Amino acid sequence: MLPGALHPGALPVTGLARFERFGYRYPESATLSLNQITVQIEAGLTLLHGPSGSGKSTLLRSLNGLVPHFHGGQASGRAWILGQDLRTTTTRRLARQVAMVFQEPESQFVLATVRREVAFGPENLGLPATEIGDRVDGALHAMGILELAERRISTLSGGQRQRVALAAALAMRPRVLVLDEPTSQLDDPGADSLRRECQAVASRGLAVVVAEHRPWRVDGPGSRRLELSHGSLISSLHRRPGPSTLPPHPSRSSGSSAWELSELVVGHQEAVAAEINLDCHQGEVLCLTGPNGSGKTTLLRTVAGLLRPLSGSVRRRPGRCAYLPQEPGGVLHQGSLLEEVNQTIRWLKLESSPWPILEEFQLTALAAMDPRDLSTGQRQRAALAAVLVGSPEMVFLDEPTRGADPNSRLLLLRVLDRLATEGSAILVATSDTQFAHQLGDRVHELDSGHLRERREVAA
Amino acid sequence: MNPRALAVWVAAVLLLSLGSEDPILRVLTLGAALTVLLVCRRVGTRARPALWAVGIAALLTVLFNFLLSHTGENVLLQLPGWLPALGGPLSLEGAAYGLDLALGLAACILAGISLSLVVEPHQLVDSLPAPLSRTGAALGAAMTLVPRLGHSFVAVREAQQMRGWRPRGMRSWTAVVVPSVLTTIEGSVLLAEAMEARAFGSGPRTALATSRWQLRDLAVAATSAAAVAGFVGALIFGQVPSWQPYPSLVMPGLNWWPALCCLALFIPALFP
Repeated sequence: MLPGALHPGALPVTGLARFERFGYRYPESATLSLNQITVQIEAGLTLLHGPSGSGKSTLLRSLNGLVPHFHGGQASGRAWILGQDLRTTTTRRLARQVAMVFQEPESQFVLATVRREVAFGPENLGLPATEIGDRVDGALHAMGILELAERRISTLSGGQRQRVALAAALAMRPRVLVLDEPTSQLDDPGADSLRRECQAVASRGLAVVVAEHRPWRVDGPGSRRLELSHGSLISSLHRRPGPSTLPPHPSRSSGSSAWELSELVVGHQEAVAAEINLDCHQGEVLCLTGPNGSGKTTLLRTVAGLLRPLSGSVRRRPGRCAYLPQEPGGVLHQGSLLEEVNQTIRWLKLESSPWPILEEFQLTALAAMDPRDLSTGQRQRAALAAVLVGSPEMVFLDEPTRGADPNSRLLLLRVLDRLATEGSAILVATSDTQFAHQLGDRVHELDSGHLRERREVAA
Repeated sequence: MNPRALAVWVAAVLLLSLGSEDPILRVLTLGAALTVLLVCRRVGTRARPALWAVGIAALLTVLFNFLLSHTGENVLLQLPGWLPALGGPLSLEGAAYGLDLALGLAACILAGISLSLVVEPHQLVDSLPAPLSRTGAALGAAMTLVPRLGHSFVAVREAQQMRGWRPRGMRSWTAVVVPSVLTTIEGSVLLAEAMEARAFGSGPRTALATSRWQLRDLAVAATSAAAVAGFVGALIFGQVPSWQPYPSLVMPGLNWWPALCCLALFIPALFP
């Protein structure tokens, strides 16, 4: 029995974390986000999965006490984390041994530069400066971003930021490492680094708990899987689903040129990619992949007309462009999801109804909800519905599968396929190479400042 | 630059610009603050937004004093008496005093802005005494929210434009401003949550590195302290000219003792 469990009436506690009929409801929420959860988290890797909105992030937040201490709301049942009663142990106390990476890492950065950001946690532990330095270098090295140490976080790509957030958690050297969708923006080398680190942490007898829609990216021998649905734990799985669950797209025929890039050089002040010659036709889907920080977003924004090219030309045919930014939260600000889609219809003077697109993304039941009350995966679908309503001539999507569960990815695939069939020219920047190859008529990789085609998909 | 040396310099600028109403001394102090900001700011930082803000604040100061003082012998304009607060004579003296106030205000604001443009926020945080370390970390986090709001504004404006939003009058900007502010507030809550989850406030903090004093830092701090001492001495011995534009505008006098103290405030610009 661990010492912290010596509370009157407490059950003997084993494992690194234990939940006994644990339930939780967020303030002002009508439904339970966690319902009668009974589970024991042991040392090693535990993978948590389930559809968007099933309660994964809430369960992860209970591992360091953010639920219920930070969020308020109503908790029921019992839980012990590292032998300490969750009801009486504050987050800041648990945080000394439980490190967490949030689903939106860009929101968790406290300081301006990478090295200082990674040092923030160890500084809070009151460690000597030399040890902080060693931990920071070790964590940056583990995530393959030692060369970014002196960079300002604001200059990093989404994937690079995710690696910084992971390094910051590793630098805490926690007993329990909690990761919420840690590979959602990582390229394959980044995901490999993370898998190695998870294995290394797990092999030291510590616990790694990961919520991940693509579990094969972090999975390893001896891992355990927990599945959540509507806030309830429905199974412990031992099967290992592989990555290939989406059908290949049907053949598409393309029309006239929608946009064309000629000798394009893109970047903010310095060029990140040069000599880009590329075109996309109506009815064609073009996917842009590449390592984190290679300039995918910069190129996408330049083609969409949001960023001026440093040199060269972008020729776009006239017509509506639909654009989804990498952080879709900024799109959503109306009081309900239905109103959000209607806003686009009003601004663009479309004659469409909001319901078909909501139905396509299986959001009809959530139409009356405030988009900001949705889970991250649901918000991503909501933002997609808001920008893709109607029939845009050109579509530009930046990391559209971020936080998307397998079903959401399938829905997105169908919607984009429908739009392409109707004649939309679609450009998708993504670090999800599997999605890119399943969706794209052509897949181009941007690496070291140059663009090259990865595969020509037969029509 | 060592943030403590910079803090000594900022304190000196504040004291000298507020310690006298003499416009010549204020021009010199403002010149020092502006020069240091432009010469010593970190690579990659933008001074233009700050300069615009200071310029607007200065302009408003002159305008308000001109419109509201109603004192002075050289009347430039007479507004009808039925205009509330504004009605009455508008004088050259009112404008001159407004300009003098604006010079002092601009010098103070520019010196304060140097703290965020010359050194990194975390350097400031680390330079605070240990009992204030937690407050400092919270302040450091707060300082990142300002650029975050700017980033959020640009991102939301772009996304809304692509959804068909066009700026048509003041009210239309709510479609950009409201989500920008909401996103930033939401970001602040997430940041607070993340700080809690990273053991902030769980015990005494340490720092990865603290800025070391170099020769130039000593020079800046010592010269700034000497300027303050000299200026206080000048005040005590009545060597700081007093200037009042009312009731009739007079030219400010020049005394080299306090003027030299103000000139000493250019010292950080010698070590860019």
